[in-house]
Amino acid sequence: MKTRKSTPYLYMLPGCLMVLFFVYIPVIANCVYSFFRLSSYSADMKFVGFDNYVRFFTNDTFWIMIRNNVLYCVISLIVQVGFGTVIALLLESSVAGRFRNVFRNIYYIPALISLTAVGLMFTYVYEPNLGLLNSALKALGLSGWTQAWLGDSKLAIYCIIAMSQWQFTGYITLLMVVAFQNVPNDYIEAAAIDGAGPVRRAVSIILPLAKEQFLVCTIITVIGAFKLFTEVYSTTAGGPGNSSQVLGLFLYQNAFLHDDLGMAAATGVFIFVITMVLSIIQLRVSRSGEV
Amino acid sequence: MKKRFFAAALATVMAMSMAMGAATVSAESEKKTIKFFHRFPDEPYNSFIESKIAEYEEAHPDIDIVVESAQNDPYKEKLKVVVGGDDCPDIFFSWCGEFTERFIRENLILDLTPYLDADPEWKDSLMENQMVNYTLDNGMVYGIPFRLDCKLFFYNIDQFEEAGVEVPTTFDELLDVCQKLQDAGFTPIAYGNQEKWPSAHYIGTLNQMTVSDEVRAVDYVPTTGTFTDEGYQKALEYYQQLIPYFNENSNGIAADMARSNFCMGMGSMYYAEAIEIPYISDPTTGLNPDLHYGMFKFPEVEGPGNPNILTGVPEGFVVSSKTQYPDECVEFLKWFLGKEVGTEQAQTIGWFNASIGTTEGVEDQSLLDAYEVITSAEEMGPWFDNALYSTVCDTYLTATSDLTNGDLTPAEVMEKVQASALEAQTLAASAPEEE
Amino acid sequence: MTKKKTLTILVNILFIFLALIIFLPMAWMLVNSLKTNQELFRNSLALPAVPQFINWVNAWNKGLYKYFGNSLIVSGCSLAGILILSSLLAYGLTRFNAKGSNVIFLIVLGGMALSEQVALVPLYKILKAIHVYNTYFAVILPYIAFRIPFTVFLMRSYFIAIPKELEEAAVVDGYNSLQIFQKIIVPISKPIFASCAIVCLNHVWNEFLFANVFLESKELMTIPIGLMTFKGDLRADYTVMLAGIIIASLPMIVLFLCMSKQFVRGLTAGAVKG
Repeated sequence: MKTRKSTPYLYMLPGCLMVLFFVYIPVIANCVYSFFRLSSYSADMKFVGFDNYVRFFTNDTFWIMIRNNVLYCVISLIVQVGFGTVIALLLESSVAGRFRNVFRNIYYIPALISLTAVGLMFTYVYEPNLGLLNSALKALGLSGWTQAWLGDSKLAIYCIIAMSQWQFTGYITLLMVVAFQNVPNDYIEAAAIDGAGPVRRAVSIILPLAKEQFLVCTIITVIGAFKLFTEVYSTTAGGPGNSSQVLGLFLYQNAFLHDDLGMAAATGVFIFVITMVLSIIQLRVSRSGEV
Repeated sequence: MKKRFFAAALATVMAMSMAMGAATVSAESEKKTIKFFHRFPDEPYNSFIESKIAEYEEAHPDIDIVVESAQNDPYKEKLKVVVGGDDCPDIFFSWCGEFTERFIRENLILDLTPYLDADPEWKDSLMENQMVNYTLDNGMVYGIPFRLDCKLFFYNIDQFEEAGVEVPTTFDELLDVCQKLQDAGFTPIAYGNQEKWPSAHYIGTLNQMTVSDEVRAVDYVPTTGTFTDEGYQKALEYYQQLIPYFNENSNGIAADMARSNFCMGMGSMYYAEAIEIPYISDPTTGLNPDLHYGMFKFPEVEGPGNPNILTGVPEGFVVSSKTQYPDECVEFLKWFLGKEVGTEQAQTIGWFNASIGTTEGVEDQSLLDAYEVITSAEEMGPWFDNALYSTVCDTYLTATSDLTNGDLTPAEVMEKVQASALEAQTLAASAPEEE
Repeated sequence: MTKKKTLTILVNILFIFLALIIFLPMAWMLVNSLKTNQELFRNSLALPAVPQFINWVNAWNKGLYKYFGNSLIVSGCSLAGILILSSLLAYGLTRFNAKGSNVIFLIVLGGMALSEQVALVPLYKILKAIHVYNTYFAVILPYIAFRIPFTVFLMRSYFIAIPKELEEAAVVDGYNSLQIFQKIIVPISKPIFASCAIVCLNHVWNEFLFANVFLESKELMTIPIGLMTFKGDLRADYTVMLAGIIIASLPMIVLFLCMSKQFVRGLTAGAVKG
């Protein structure tokens, strides 16, 4: 093709500049901030070395946050990606029946509701006195099973995780359905003629061909788990105590509640390192990451 | 320098990648624009504020007041973000005490003292016991109250009669009343601590009685606070004694839900703010406007502190020191927070401001009772959560939330608070402004 | 065949069960949004004596329509920006054998791991410096920038698979590179555009963190932020709030259900085999 040498770069330029200025520069600036003490309403900043990091890692809530983010990540991988993919396979299988599209659409609905709406809604679902859960348990004669839900230090984070599964499993299912529909029918038919049962076909033909989409879903889920913020902010705000505290909320509270931008920046660097490492691992594991 | 480079570079990118028309803010040159930021977006309060402002604009054609508002927590977050910048609101809501004082240390707040001195009539029309809360030790007045408030126990008169109990005046009597109410089959205290700050109102009030004024004064300053006085732990122990009488799952219940429960009879008492009275009596949104209830002050606790302090300093507005129109701002506040508007405010939304004599036309007896308590108070106590350095406050409330769930003991809570106070000392001392 | 039938029934029972889990909280909310607050407190499982549609009216009057419009503007602009810039970038990366394109791709891809929170504070200062803080651009620009890496990642793998022959034929016809992009690459890549659009829309529509910090005035708030203002401090108008949640959610759901056929067809149609 006859093109000037500069042509491809002109296509790349706008996008690259956007990423550079609104993603990279803030993140680099953030790394710099993490060595200072500064607040949002004061222009001065003071160099404090690694003090922000020391305070971050020795913080009481550090391990609670790690536990909560990891829990969220693992459970989301199992339920959203794992179970969601199984549902997608079932929806696309020959035994799904004629309402498969209706079900697929229904499962996707929660993903269309905004996160804060879902958060507010579930604060009522979990409300101890008049909430759906406790009311239903009482109506079923299971009063002994009623809980404080979001008010129980041991249950709060699981309640939030459950809410997310409710919202996003159908989303992953839809993404996987789309991928499965792109698997050419001839392959599947050929396998069927060769005598492969439905499970065999799913595992050895359909799944491998939809591998890239599967990787995409895994990456969204894992990165999302470590950026977790709105779900917690709109329900417990980290409580009771610090039992449902997560990294993203901790950063936010330090930046805007405690005027401790340095500490917030240090938390940000930590989130960055984790998501970076996990993304690299995931891309390495799959071939599609190779350049 | 660096910033300017960023700005220039970014502006170029913007122009290149976005050929869309940027939204530019063009101020009308004729009018003086005053930005007004408050935290009462709920109805009917928001409408009242906006209608008054519209009224003022009509009377002063040269003034254009731009109103923004946000809910409590987002308000705090946003205010901190904008207050140091160029687009800081000219007039904004701000809690008295440490919340505003840190802005004063950055010279962000206008000193109102000269204006008050220049207009003695205005100065004398404001309640002294309320204004003192918006005054620094050196005499600088930095804000004018918008609404008076205080913490009182509301109690369900019918349930008290049924259980055969009287209004308690000491803490032991309170426990006794709770026990009797519980025996009679009632939930003694409606309590929702999901947002964590409701516990601060109990702890703050108790601290005022279990810890001496001098010690508290030292501890509430971030650079000197240690919280080693044993009175703090005592306060938590008193609080702990109340836990069996709270409704179940109090950490899972929102503060407003607790009040609703009280209204619906699912709680005989509720430690409430005076400004909640209109929420109860509102015929459209109130759950039970006919609720037969009374009020009493927090029962006394033996201790070196001062039981005459009434928890609940007023909340008001301050003027930014960066405003282009300080005179106009003060002039507006003089009217907006004055007697005329105050009287109408009390009548329509049930909140009193700090102008003397605004009760005319107020019929709700509960409001008048609360007004009487507030105006006759010897001294107002701070909102505990606003009085402390934010990390200390966070630790305090978080640990108290764990105490409420039974996961920590009072001694363990104080250990955490002390550690946090020590850290706050170094943080506050090394804050940039102290350089 | 009977074995298949029982399987179908079993699978459908599972489907119905899952659908119930999805529907129950929503139905409960719907019922309660039509009650008075007193009724809600008496029994949240009961049906309303008289449906209180006034709750819906009240919720709507609280400015929901404004939030909705803002969300549409912000999501629309962001989505357009993301798709245009990302596809151009991916096009430049894949179809020219340009030198250094691998390095550029790696750098862009690195942006995927950078999370919004990390950039929050510096970004706030930058947005103020370029005077877009508290305008639609304050959220649109970061939304676009933060979705580019992932979108490029998806589009690149798709573009690479497009056979060279198509382009060569177009060159013979005298197309320049931009025309090739418009007339060949984009039409053939509809599925990946649609795929990226859902993933990005889902993100942009729900975004809370940036919107909460970068938008100050009520006039600009998007739905996620607007809804939080319903959750007053001490106010207790629960049923109106439930109505607000429903109104805020309904349009997207209805839109999706009406469009779902085209939507999924668009996702799968024209896919390159293999």
